[in-house]
Formats: sequence, structure tokens, C-alpha cells
Amino acid sequence: MPRLLSGAFRLKNDPRILKLPPYLSLLCILVGVVWLLLLPLDNYSRRTYISENALLPGQVHTYFGGSDQNVFRAYKHEINSLADGNATNLAVNDRLAAIFAGIGLKTARQPYSYTTSRAVQGENIYAILPAPRGDATEAIVLVAAWRNAGDETNRNGVALLLTLARYFRRWSLWSKDIIFLVTPDSSSGPQAWVDAYHDAHRGSVGSLPVKSGALQGALAIDFAREGRFKSVHVAYDGVNGQLPNLDLINSVVSIAGGQMGMGVAIQEMWEHPDGYRDRLDTMLRGMLKQGLGMASGPHSAFIPYHVDAVTLQPFGEGWQDEMAMGRVIEGTFRSLNNLLEKLHQSFFFYLLMATERFVSIGTYLPSAMLVAVNFTIMAIALWVKSGQPEGEVVPGLEGQKGEKARLAVERHLFLPLGVVTVAQALGVVPLWVFNHTPASLQTTVFVVFLVLNTALPHVLSAVLTRTYNPTTQQYQLITSFSLLLLGMFLSSLATLNFSLALIVGLLSSPLSFVRPARHLAWSVPLALISPPAVLALTTALWKNGGLAAVGDVLREAAFGWDVMGMYTPVVVWCVWWPAWLVGNLVVLGRPGRGKAKVA
Amino acid sequence: MNGGKVTLGRTAGLYIGAAVLRLALFTVFPGLPDLLTGRVEISTPVTSFKRLQEGLFLYNHNVSPYDGGVYHQAPLFLPLFSLLPSSSSFPIFTYLLYIVVDLLSANALQKIADSGEAVSSALFTSPRREKRWSGLVIAAVYLFNPFTIATCLGRSTSVFTTCAVLHAIAKAISGAPISAMIALSFASYLSMYPLLLLPPLLLLSYDRQPALHTQKSLLAFTLKHISVVTGVLSTLFSMSYLITGSWEFLPSTYGVQLTLSDLTPNVGLWWYFFVEMFDSFRSFFLAVFWLHLSSYVGGLCVRIRTQPLVVLTLLLGIFAIFKPYPSIADMSLFLAMVPLYRHVFPLMRYTFVVAAVVMYATFLGPAFYHLWIYAGSGNANFFYAITLVWGLGLSLMVCDLTFAVLRDEWEVERPEMVGKEIRQI
Repeated sequence: MPRLLSGAFRLKNDPRILKLPPYLSLLCILVGVVWLLLLPLDNYSRRTYISENALLPGQVHTYFGGSDQNVFRAYKHEINSLADGNATNLAVNDRLAAIFAGIGLKTARQPYSYTTSRAVQGENIYAILPAPRGDATEAIVLVAAWRNAGDETNRNGVALLLTLARYFRRWSLWSKDIIFLVTPDSSSGPQAWVDAYHDAHRGSVGSLPVKSGALQGALAIDFAREGRFKSVHVAYDGVNGQLPNLDLINSVVSIAGGQMGMGVAIQEMWEHPDGYRDRLDTMLRGMLKQGLGMASGPHSAFIPYHVDAVTLQPFGEGWQDEMAMGRVIEGTFRSLNNLLEKLHQSFFFYLLMATERFVSIGTYLPSAMLVAVNFTIMAIALWVKSGQPEGEVVPGLEGQKGEKARLAVERHLFLPLGVVTVAQALGVVPLWVFNHTPASLQTTVFVVFLVLNTALPHVLSAVLTRTYNPTTQQYQLITSFSLLLLGMFLSSLATLNFSLALIVGLLSSPLSFVRPARHLAWSVPLALISPPAVLALTTALWKNGGLAAVGDVLREAAFGWDVMGMYTPVVVWCVWWPAWLVGNLVVLGRPGRGKAKVA
Repeated sequence: MNGGKVTLGRTAGLYIGAAVLRLALFTVFPGLPDLLTGRVEISTPVTSFKRLQEGLFLYNHNVSPYDGGVYHQAPLFLPLFSLLPSSSSFPIFTYLLYIVVDLLSANALQKIADSGEAVSSALFTSPRREKRWSGLVIAAVYLFNPFTIATCLGRSTSVFTTCAVLHAIAKAISGAPISAMIALSFASYLSMYPLLLLPPLLLLSYDRQPALHTQKSLLAFTLKHISVVTGVLSTLFSMSYLITGSWEFLPSTYGVQLTLSDLTPNVGLWWYFFVEMFDSFRSFFLAVFWLHLSSYVGGLCVRIRTQPLVVLTLLLGIFAIFKPYPSIADMSLFLAMVPLYRHVFPLMRYTFVVAAVVMYATFLGPAFYHLWIYAGSGNANFFYAITLVWGLGLSLMVCDLTFAVLRDEWEVERPEMVGKEIRQI
């Protein structure tokens, strides 16, 4: 290894080699992007398959139907009367507790409250069906939120949950406990319940009075629409871009699509003719959701605890009724019931591009890694460059024998290290501000920050040049250290949340090529790719809500950070923003002769 | 005189700054110490503060602390920590103890640096000796090294070993061989591996004997000081025997290090290897691994006889890679010594690569451990791969430092080669 390295390092004196890195790193970025665009092709993606043979999806006859329809109507009537009467959370839970007790299940409640940028409080209710053939060491969960993610009342969902509770109770084949959970909303309620189930809850969240065994899987029903539907939409994104085991999604697809013949959609692709564009679109939507890392339904809270979970949402105009939906859930529960150990066979890192097509981590990771590597390449190149004399050939010294004089220049590390450290430390400020601003002020604070953020690099650069007047070498070293950190953070992040790493990497890829420019104009494009500007531009373009939409996004982010442990804000403010700030400082820099030593 | 006062003021400022930083981290983030204590990179089975608490609980309830097979640390920690108020109700006393130990280590390090032993030993003076950092800078680098701070916050008991090792070296340099031997005995008693530092430390103390009572014969000197070490160690062992009431502590502390019976993951290279090992080969490979670890001592002592402090530094680096239970505390001890060689830094070739590799490993390690243990989506190979990278980074650093020091020596022997490129054949 040392010999290899020393061989490689002898090359560093070749002037041609030194010209290469910018092109090399541009090539890395381009290859990374093209790689991503190739993934939907048949040659690069694979058909999904069931890895865990114990699941046997769609192999059992489902019996839900017939007289259960009458039961469903009765529960639906109850739910309608509660929903139409605008019953409070507690009144709803009183009624649900009575119904669960009527079915003969052990019921418990859990009050919780969160005081973040927006205060939330509520009470979860859940009932446990003890397994007739089990020993309460394992459980599967059926969740229905009273208000779904779109803030509609989940009338059919809760009624279906009650019907299924009554129906499951009659069977003796369950080998795992089944927990029926009704939460008041789709985000904080499930989070409070799962946290408390694993004893990881905070003081404001009540403990669970009754528990069962280790959770093996969870299914959430989001069925607020009325009337018959065409097929089922599977939402599977977890907090921080974690995904459930692919086998769970495959099972649902196989049961709903294959056995029940109702078809499945993912990533809100209501039409999917399986062309290249559709696949790419599905994949990019999935990556965007994964990158943002927000919760997409009640299932999201389960995934960080290694409990595989998905949310099922019926959609479209068709001829499937509530009973068909119930049969899909019954079939999936029968499959989960077969599990001998936690889902582990199949993939945890994948990108789905159609319900039956995916790429696994080995195939897609190189694209994010290439983008991250481009920063490291430039960092190394700048380090090497900073060690070489500014002039071409140093006269006199060792210039004999026609050899090119090589005079290693002493690097002045203190100032560059200081600048990069300060920039990294400054990232804590916006992180703290945006997570502690009251919800109503978020938009105002954001606008103020946007303005300050545009001015900040100019002010800092003026201070830097006035007091220290850094040399070209020091600017090279500042860029080098900043890019090294960025590359390091992004390649670590790529293993945890591929999409976020790729998005941040691509948005900050221009930072690889910054150098002191004499013209102020160069800072304009850089100002446009600053994190707050990107946030403002994208929300304005996509959500059409202007600045109010930015406030919504920030509120969600603050809530996600505080309640769900979502780390996207940390990445934005402590990885991306400092790198951008340093890049901007360098562009605005005016290399001088260095600060004269003050005695 | 005035200059001395300024330095004194600065030293005090540095120590106060380091202490305040640590206290602030302890108090502003009260969850941080326990979080760090749980990290495998900081707490190994033989240094973990959590395990110490377990041992302490058993000890205070008159049960042998080694029952239950959790506590693998020296018995004398128990009376020390049971004197302190309980760390769960009054954590501040424990924090203060750890901060004081860190400051004592820095003080010893400062003495080592100020002695100039690194640039000019009894038998060798570097031509680059002008370019070195003062003890203050080196103590600052140690005290504000993130690895040192993390170790202190994680309350790993290896800080005591670090302190003892640094004091042993400082005493040896200042011409107090007996004190050096006593300090080394304490270090060995706490973690066993510092015993391997005895040969270079003997050479160092022999070279730096005070002019007044110089002992000519190296053999006599060695015998005398080995008997000191033996004496101190026997005293410590007897005290341990009196405290715990049996010799059970020997297999539970040193035995665990020798046989690697606790396979909790750490940043080292042993655990994964021995998880995979068939039982019939276990004892053979244990012997090979230990032989490998100790084989460096003799070779380095002979090759770099002129600079015993270099041998000590390199050995500390090697131990940080190849010890049975290494942690970032060993890394911080090695990194404390490396800045002493500021004069040969220009001769080092891979500084940037080493820094990048170590930093990458520092960030990827916790990420992969998270994937393995918490997210459940990775497996043990992920974390082990990163410990290999970490080991690679460290060994490159050790190699590079060795190269630089040898090149420095070589340029004294061959003045005509100064500044020429060399090629490894």
C-alpha cells in the first residue's frame, strides 16, 4: 500500500496531472446523473420477487365478506354519527372502547401531547387480540387514523378496522397477537404510540398500560373516500427515507394485484403504463420523498423501530367495495402470521420504479457515491496544488542537472482550518432558529433569513479580506477542507439516505469549481443555489403557494425534527449550508499577500 | 522572567479553557455522557464506565464484582469510585475527576514536549530541531482533540491508563527512573498492555539518567528497575486481593484481554476475526495475535535505539491498531504524541490521505453501526469494513511517521542526500 501510494504521489509533480481533476470531477457528476437515468431500463432494474418463502402471499382463501358486510354497515353507522356530530377525540375513544369491549378485546388508551412549534395533543386507543396459538411474544398491528394524512375523517378505515377486529376474533389460526390501533391523527399519534411501545417516549407522552410482544409488521388503512374504488395505493416511505422490507410491499402487491385482481399503485402514479418515462417518474418521486424524509402516513412512525409497515389507500373509480379492501388486509395478515422471524430476507435499500420493478442498493449507490467523490477529488487536487509554488520554476535552488526545481511550499493551515470550523459552527444558528420559531412566525423569520443569508457572504468576505487578507494558497486550502468535509458527510449520508445525499450533492456540485473571481457577478448564480433560495424556489414552483407554502414546509420540518427525529434539517443547515457559505466566501475572495505578521 | 509568567498565564488559561469546555458539554447536554458511554467506539469491555457501575454496585453490596462476567477492570477502581458520591445522583464529582485526569495527562505531555527529547535525545540530535511546537501547543492539541474530549465525556477508564503512561514517560525524561517505573506499573496494572512499553521506557530512562548518580551498566540498570516494576505490581495485586478477597480478578481482567472472551464489537481488528473462528483454532490464533502485537517491541527498540521516545510513540500507535480491545482513547493517546514530531512533518508524505481516511472512518463508522444495530438493514460486515479502514488509516500514519523519523536520521548520516527524492525498492 505505501509503495502504491508513493508511486501515485510521484505523479503529483507532473503538471498535466494537475490540470486533470476539475474535468475528472465534472465527469464524476455527469456519470452519476447518467447512471441514475439508466436505472429504469430493463437491463439495469430487476423484477421483484418474494424472498421470504414463509410469507406465501395469496395462497390462502380469504373468507371476509358475506354477513361481515352487515357488521361493517353497522360500525360505519356508528362512525358516521360520531363524525357528523363532530365528536371530540375523547368521545370517539369512549365509543370505540365500548365497541372493542363488545367484541371482547382488551382495550387501553394512551394520552399524549407534544409542544413543539405547533402544540399537538390527543389520545390513542388500541385493543389487543391475544393469539390463540401464540404466547404473546410477537404481534402485528392494524392502524387506522381518525383523521388521515389529508385531514379527512377516515370513516371507512376505522369502520373496516372494527369489522376486521370482530372478524379476526372468530379465527383460531393466529399465531401472533393482533393489535388494533386508532390514532387521532396520522403523524403524532402513531409516533407517540410506537415510541411508548418501545419505552422510548418522552415525559409528555403517556406509557402504554397494556403491551404485547415484539412488533413484526404493521398495516395502516387510509380509507376516507366513499363509494367503490378501482385499486390500492401503497405508501411505504418512512421517516428519514428508511424503507420497509421489500417483501412486505411485494406481498401486498401480490395479494391485491394478483389474488384480488384490483391492481396496485405506488408514489401517487395513478396511471402507470410501465414505459421509461413512467418508471423514471416513479423513481424520482420516490427519491424526492425519501430525500425530504418526512412521514407519509401512519406507517412511517413504525419503520425507524425496524417494524416493517405500509399504508393502504384505495383510489380511482371502479367496482371494488370495502369487503375487497378487507380481504386484501386479511390476506396480508395471514401472510405476516406465517412469519417465523422478522422480515430480513429481502432488500431494505431499494428504489421502486413500478410495482414489480426495482433496483437494489448495489446498482444505484454508485451514482450518489460518484457525486460525493467529485468533492473529494477536488479537495485532494486543491491540497496538492496548494503545496506547489505559485511561480512556474523557482530559479536557482536545486535547479541543476536540468531537473525541474521542486520546492514544497509550507502550507499555512491555521486560517483555512479556522474559517471552515467557523462556517460549520455557524450552521447551528439556522438549525436552532428554525426549530424554535413559533409556527406563526416561520414565514417571517424565513424571509428575514433569506435576506440576511444573501448579504452574509459579502459581509464575511469583507471581514476576512480586511483582517487576514488570505493568499491564493489559503483560499485553495479553505476550498479543499470544505469540499473534503462535504464529500465525507455526503458519502456517509449516502449509506443512510441515498436520495438526500444525491439531492444535496447535485445542488452543491457547482461548489467543486469555485475559485476567487474578480467579478461580483459570479456570486449571483451561487446565491441562487443557497439552501434557503432553493427551498423558496422549489416550493414556489411546485406548491404554487408562494411564501406561505415555505412556512408550511418549515413547520413540518420543525415538527418532524422534534417529534419524529427527522434529520433532514441537520443535513441542510450543518452540511449543505456551511459548504455553500465557504464556497461563496471563496468566490468573493480577493487573494492577497497574506497578513503581515504582527509582533 | 516576564516571558515565563506569560507562559504560566497561558498554560493556566489553556487548562481552564479545556476544563470549562468539558464542564459545559457535561452540563449543557446532560444526555451526552450516557450516549457516548454506550458507543462501542469509546467504551470497550475493559474500559466501559457502564460496566464499572455494575462492578461498583456488586462491590458495594458485598458481592464479588466479577460475578456475572460484566466487569473486567482492575479492582482498585472500585474503592476509588465508591469514595465518590454516586455518579447517578451527583454526577458532577465523577465529571470533575475525569477532567482533572485529562488535565494531568496534558501537564505530563507538556513536560515531555518542553524537554525537547523528541528533537534531541541523548544519542541523536535532529538537524530540524528548530522547528517544533511548544509544550503549550501540544497540550492544547491534546486537550481540544475531539477524540480526547469524547473519551473524557464517555468516562472511559482508559483515561487513567493514558495519564499513567504519559506520566511514566515524563518522569523518565526528567531523570526520575523509579517514578517512571512506578507510573508504568500503575498503567500496566490498569490495562496490562503498557507492560510492553517497559523496554523502550527503560532505554529512555537509562539515556536520561541524572548526571549525579549515573549507572553505567545497562544490564544492572534494567535488572534494578524491572525489580521495581515487579515490586509495585505485586503490591498492587496484593491490595487487589485484599479488596476482593480472592484471585478471581486475575482471570476476569487480564484473562479476558488475553483470551478475548468478550466479543463485543469495537474499533479493533480482533473481535470479528474471533467471532468467525472455529474453537479448535482459537488458542493458536490468540497466540499468533499476541505474538504479533508484542513482536514490534524488540524490533523497534533495536532499530531506533537512538530515539527511545520515537519507539514509545510508534508502539502506542501500533497498540491503537492491534490491541485486543482498542478504542478511540488509544487513538487520542497516539495523537497526543504525534505533534511532538512537528520537525519531521515536512518529511511525511501521506498527511492528507491519513487525515481524510481517519475522518471518513470516524463518520462512516457510527453510520454503519447504526445500520447494523438499530436500522437492522446492514450487518456486522458493514461495521467491520469501517474498522478495517480505520486500521488502515492508523497504520498509514504509523508507517509515515516511522518513515519520516528514519529519513531524518538518514539525512544526518548521508548529508549529500538532503532534499532528494527516495524510492522504496
